[in-house]
Amino acid sequence: MDEKTLIKIKNLERYYKTDSIIVKALNGVSFEIQKGEFIAIMGASGSGKTTMLRILGLIDKPTKGEYIINNLNVVDLPEEERTYYRLTQLGYVFQDYALIKEMSAVENISILSLMEGKNKKESIGEAHEALTKVGLGDKDKRVPDELSGGEKQRVAVARAIAKKPKILFADEPCANLDTHTSEQILEVLKELNQKYGQTIVMVTHEPWHTRYVSRLIQLKDGLIVSDKKLRG
Amino acid sequence: MLNDLKVGFLSAKSSIKRGNKKTLAFIVFVLALIFMNLVFLPSMMGGMTGMFNNFMIYPYGDIVVEPSGDNIYINNADNVLQKVRAIPDVSAATKRLDAGVSIKHKHKVVGASITGLFPTEEYDISQYPYIISEGEFLGDLAQDEIIIGAMLAEGYFGSEIYDNLGEVKPGSFVNVTYNNGVQRTYKVKGIMEGTFELTDLNALVHYEEIKNVYGLDEGKATSVVIRVKDADNSAKVKEKIIAAGVKEQVFTNNEKSDAILRQAMESLDLVNVISKYVSLIVGATLILIIVYINVLNRKKEIGILKAVGISPRSIVISYAFISMFYVSMGILAGLVLYFILMYYFTISPVVFYESIEIIPEIQGELIIQSIFTMLTMSIIAGVLPAWRVSKESILNAIWGR
Repeated sequence: MDEKTLIKIKNLERYYKTDSIIVKALNGVSFEIQKGEFIAIMGASGSGKTTMLRILGLIDKPTKGEYIINNLNVVDLPEEERTYYRLTQLGYVFQDYALIKEMSAVENISILSLMEGKNKKESIGEAHEALTKVGLGDKDKRVPDELSGGEKQRVAVARAIAKKPKILFADEPCANLDTHTSEQILEVLKELNQKYGQTIVMVTHEPWHTRYVSRLIQLKDGLIVSDKKLRG
Repeated sequence: MLNDLKVGFLSAKSSIKRGNKKTLAFIVFVLALIFMNLVFLPSMMGGMTGMFNNFMIYPYGDIVVEPSGDNIYINNADNVLQKVRAIPDVSAATKRLDAGVSIKHKHKVVGASITGLFPTEEYDISQYPYIISEGEFLGDLAQDEIIIGAMLAEGYFGSEIYDNLGEVKPGSFVNVTYNNGVQRTYKVKGIMEGTFELTDLNALVHYEEIKNVYGLDEGKATSVVIRVKDADNSAKVKEKIIAAGVKEQVFTNNEKSDAILRQAMESLDLVNVISKYVSLIVGATLILIIVYINVLNRKKEIGILKAVGISPRSIVISYAFISMFYVSMGILAGLVLYFILMYYFTISPVVFYESIEIIPEIQGELIIQSIFTMLTMSIIAGVLPAWRVSKESILNAIWGR
C-alpha cells in the first residue's frame, strides 16, 4: 500500500445464512480508498451497500476476504481491539441519528473522548469544537428531543468527527430528512472533506447527493458495477 | 477500567437525570418497602426477644451458677459467692433456694414454685422488690411472711388462665406445704406482678425459711445469681468465674433463655428468615425486571454505543450504577420510613397479653447487613441483563433481534 492509500479491500465476501438459503450480500468486492476522498456508494435495495459500509466501519465481519486500514489487517482483530479501533480511528453516522436520548448534544459527543481516556474538560472542549463545525455550537445543552431532525443528524456528524477519525462513514445520513435539511448535512460533510481533508465514505440512494462527492462506487447484487471519479 | 467507570457513570447520570421521574419515584417507593420489610420484622422480633431476655433476669440474673451433675444443691454456695464477688466485673451476687410447694388459701389450693432469697440483696440482683403491686416486699428479718405472684391471686392479670388462690390480699394467711411434707402458715406481705409466668406463678420467702424447712446447712443453695457491670460482657465474665475455680455449672442469661425460649424463638426466626428471603427474592426480581425492561428498551442504543466505540464493560457498569442508584434511594427512603415506624412503635408499643409492651429494637448490624445485601443484589440484578445484551453482536442489538 502506498502512502496515499488508506483502505484496501480485496475479494470481500459476506454471506448471510438463513434456515434454508444462503444470501450473498457481497460477492467478491475489491477497491482502494485514498486519503481525502469523499466517496458515495450507491445501489438498489439489496445491492450490498449497507453491508459494505458496516464491514468498513468494523461493525460487521466479512465471511471472506481482506480488509486493510493503514497497513493493518483488521479482519481478524479481537472484539476488544475492534471496539477500540472504532473509537479512535473511525467515525460512523447512522441514518436514524442514533443519539442517546437522555444525553445532551455535548454529552453524546464527549462520552467518546472520555472513553478514550481524556479528561472531562478536554472532552467537552472537543465536543464543542465539533458542534461548532456543524453549526450547532449554541445548542450544546439540548437533548435530542429538543432538536429538529436535521440538527440531530448534525449532532450525529459532530459525534463522528469529534475525535478526528481517519475515515468517516455515513449510512444514508439524509434518509429521514427533507431536501433542504439534507443539503445542509451534505454541505457539512463537503466542508469537512474540503476544509479539513476528512476522508468520507457515504452510502446513499439519492442521485443528486453525488454532486457533493469526488467518487462514486455503484453496487449491484453484491458486486461493484461502476467505480468512477467525479471530481477533484 | 477508569475510563469505563467514567463513561459508565456519565451514561448512568444522564439516564437518571433525564429519565422518567414518576417511574423513578415508584421504583424507589417499592424498594423502600422491600428494605423496610427486611429490617422491620426482625426489629420487632428483636424487641420481643429482648423482652423475654429481660424476664430472664428474675430467675437467672446475668449469670447463674447451678448445681453440677445430679446434685440438688450447691454445697458450698458461700465459697462460690466469695469467688464470684472477688471478680471486678461482678456488681452483685446472691444465693437462693428453690422448692416445689402447694399453697392453700381458704378452700383453694394451687401448685407453685417458691424461692427463698435474701430480700435486701435482691435490690441489686432482680426486679422483685420493684414489682410489688400491692403491699410491701420482704424485709431482711422477714419470718412467716410470703410474697405471692399475681397470677396466683384472683383479679390480677393472667390469674384467670391458671388455678388461683381466690381473693388473696396483703395480710391474708396462706398455708404452704413443701414437697417434703412440712407445712407452714405465712402472712401475705405483698403481691408481685411482673406480667410473666416465671415471676407471677412463683412465691417468695426468706432464704432462712426454706433452709429451716429442709434442715439445710448455711452453705446450701439451688442457685447463685449474679449481676455484672456490663451485661454485654456476660460471656467473658462467665469464663472468669470458671477460671476463678467455680466447679458448678455456669450459664449466662442468654444461654438460659435460649434453652427455655428456643422453640418459640426458632419458630419466630424461621418466619423471620422466610420473610427476609421472600423480600430479597421479590426485590431482586423487581430490580431485574426494571433493569431488564430498561435494557431491552435501549437495546438499540446499546448496539449504537458499541458501534461508536464504547466498551461493553462501560455499558454494564452504567447499568450497575443505575441499579445501585435505584436501590440506594430505596434504602434511604426505607431508612426514613423505618425510623418513623420505630419512633411510632417506641412511643406506642405493641401491646401483648394486654399489658406486655413490645418495644422494637433497632439493630445496627441487621441494618448494615440489609444495606449490603440489597446493594449486592442491585449490582447482580443490574449487571446480568446489561452484560447479556452487551455481549450480543452490534447488528443484533441494533436490529433488536
